[in-house]
Amino acid sequence: MASNSSLEQAIDKILVKTEKEILSDLEKTGSDSKNILDNALPKLQQEYDKIISDGKKEADKIEKQIVGSSDIELRNKQLLLLEEAVDKVFSKALDQIANVDRNDDYSNLIKTLLKESTNVLGTSEITVNTNTKDKDIVQSMLSQFPGSELGSDSIDCLGGIIVKSKDGSMTFDNTIDAKIERLKPLIRKEIASKFGVGN
Amino acid sequence: MTTEGGVQYSKIAEIKGPLVIVDDVENAAFDELVEIQTTDGERRLGKVLEVGNGKAIVQVFEGTTGLSISGTNAKFVGKVMEMPVSKEVLGRVFDGLGRPKDGLPDPIADQFIDINGEPMNPEQREYPKDFIQTGVSVIDGMITLVRGQKLPIFSGSGMSHNLLAAQIARQASVVGTQDDFAVVFAAIGVQYSEAEYFRRSLEESGALKRSVLFLNTADDPAIERIITPRVALTVAEYLAFELGMHVLVILTDMTNYAEALREISAAREEVPGRKGYPGYLYTDLSTIYERAGKLNGRKGSVTQVPILSMPSDDITHPIPDLTGYITEGQVVLGRDLFRQGVYPPINILMSLSRLMKDGIGEGSTRADHGEISNQVYDAYSRAQEVRALAGIVGKAGLTEIDLKYMDVGDVFEKEFLTQATDENRTIEETLGVLWKIVSKLPKNEITKIKDKFIEQYYQEE
Repeated sequence: MASNSSLEQAIDKILVKTEKEILSDLEKTGSDSKNILDNALPKLQQEYDKIISDGKKEADKIEKQIVGSSDIELRNKQLLLLEEAVDKVFSKALDQIANVDRNDDYSNLIKTLLKESTNVLGTSEITVNTNTKDKDIVQSMLSQFPGSELGSDSIDCLGGIIVKSKDGSMTFDNTIDAKIERLKPLIRKEIASKFGVGN
Repeated sequence: MTTEGGVQYSKIAEIKGPLVIVDDVENAAFDELVEIQTTDGERRLGKVLEVGNGKAIVQVFEGTTGLSISGTNAKFVGKVMEMPVSKEVLGRVFDGLGRPKDGLPDPIADQFIDINGEPMNPEQREYPKDFIQTGVSVIDGMITLVRGQKLPIFSGSGMSHNLLAAQIARQASVVGTQDDFAVVFAAIGVQYSEAEYFRRSLEESGALKRSVLFLNTADDPAIERIITPRVALTVAEYLAFELGMHVLVILTDMTNYAEALREISAAREEVPGRKGYPGYLYTDLSTIYERAGKLNGRKGSVTQVPILSMPSDDITHPIPDLTGYITEGQVVLGRDLFRQGVYPPINILMSLSRLMKDGIGEGSTRADHGEISNQVYDAYSRAQEVRALAGIVGKAGLTEIDLKYMDVGDVFEKEFLTQATDENRTIEETLGVLWKIVSKLPKNEITKIKDKFIEQYYQEE
């Protein structure tokens, strides 16, 4: 009996000791876990802030991409539409020029073009070419420019003349087409401004 | 613009390389634009290089391949080459001569400007002192670019200068102001894939709408390259000084420009200078680089970042050498860093922005910027010495402080220098990384920064 009781006492002691140890371990683990959690919180907050900030940056980037490309696409469509409208105005204007009356004003224009051409080439020994419509007018003017002659070939143009030195080394294109071509950028600007662009 | 056209001459005396010599020419002017018409009606553009004794030497931009003496005509247009400009050029892509390359019509011009530009009146120049944020840490933090500066990038064959150029073009911005910002990008003699990369990169990032691209690819005639930087700068000057925008001009690759110049010089049988480049290479380059700056009383600015690849990585080659005399500093890419896979591989110890000191600090970036930058420069320089020493005595032979400097070198390259190609860092983020590097050192090693900044920004471990 006595041995049983001392055995029980020993077991009780061990149980109490073990219980204390377990409780102390639990307490320590609890406190460690709390510390770890406390320490992790700022890191977690930092990570959270970083993820949010990266996400915001990415969203801003995507927004910029979408807005940028749609702006460009829209602008390009506007440009194409504007160009189409400018071309229409241009071709109508060219039709009108081609069918203009060959009256006295037009004869004066041809005379001015001839004067301009001989001045630029620096010689009156010239061959003048023009289209079939203007041949008679040009021919009548040439008497005022000694040394000049009308070329046999007709040229395809709206009006005006192409003047060549008789030795063939110099040519001066004084057709209405060439003048329009040179002024085209300014005329386009003028037409575009009527559509409210570039004002 | 005039309605009067020019005279067309049909006596071609000689065709030599990119040059056409026209006989019996009267009244031609230096730099006058010339239209060359071939027998099959094709038109090419050129300009007068020399006039005299009834002859005119014409440089044909699109090359002389396929031209013959008989049947070729040269029409002297009576004006110099002009670029039509308006705000509509933003978002457009042009070729090296300024003709649309994006399938859209010519821009409706507000003005026609001589591409050779007017030299800036030195008296009217304003000292550049405003910061441009590129979003690339090593540039913003240690080789800061300021508005109106010309800061070249010296690279080498095959290195990542084009990636860097595209990244700067996408990300660059002016901070602390509502002023408009634009990028004019001129690719000179680049590969087709690179030109496409530039175009796609700006399109996809949404930056194209504030950019103008001029693309001269490697298969375009070399002579066109003489014109590309000039048309780009003409547009930049218009945007800056007429529309008041801050314009960043990126010119890549200026080596191809100089080689085109050499080709013309050889065809003209001029006495060659160093490595066959013409003796006037310095003067010619200055006519491009000096088109950067700010003007008194004008709102905008033109900032230039010309990029050039140094043949054989030789910094004493005439192109980087002469460029360095004109520009205000240089960014040098290092082959060693590139081989290690570092991007951008900028060798900070060989790089310098001469105007940085005036563009940083309180009111523009942050009060501690100059000092932290100097400290990191000093520490990285020391780290390189320690690395060299470690190569001889081994790591075990280094002192504790030496090891800390080695650590600084590693963090500098891995966290500060290395950056993703789509990573856009603010100046605050950049300065934050610089402080992280300095904080690897004990406080007594920090000798270039005021105590108040150390107290405020030093990161204790």
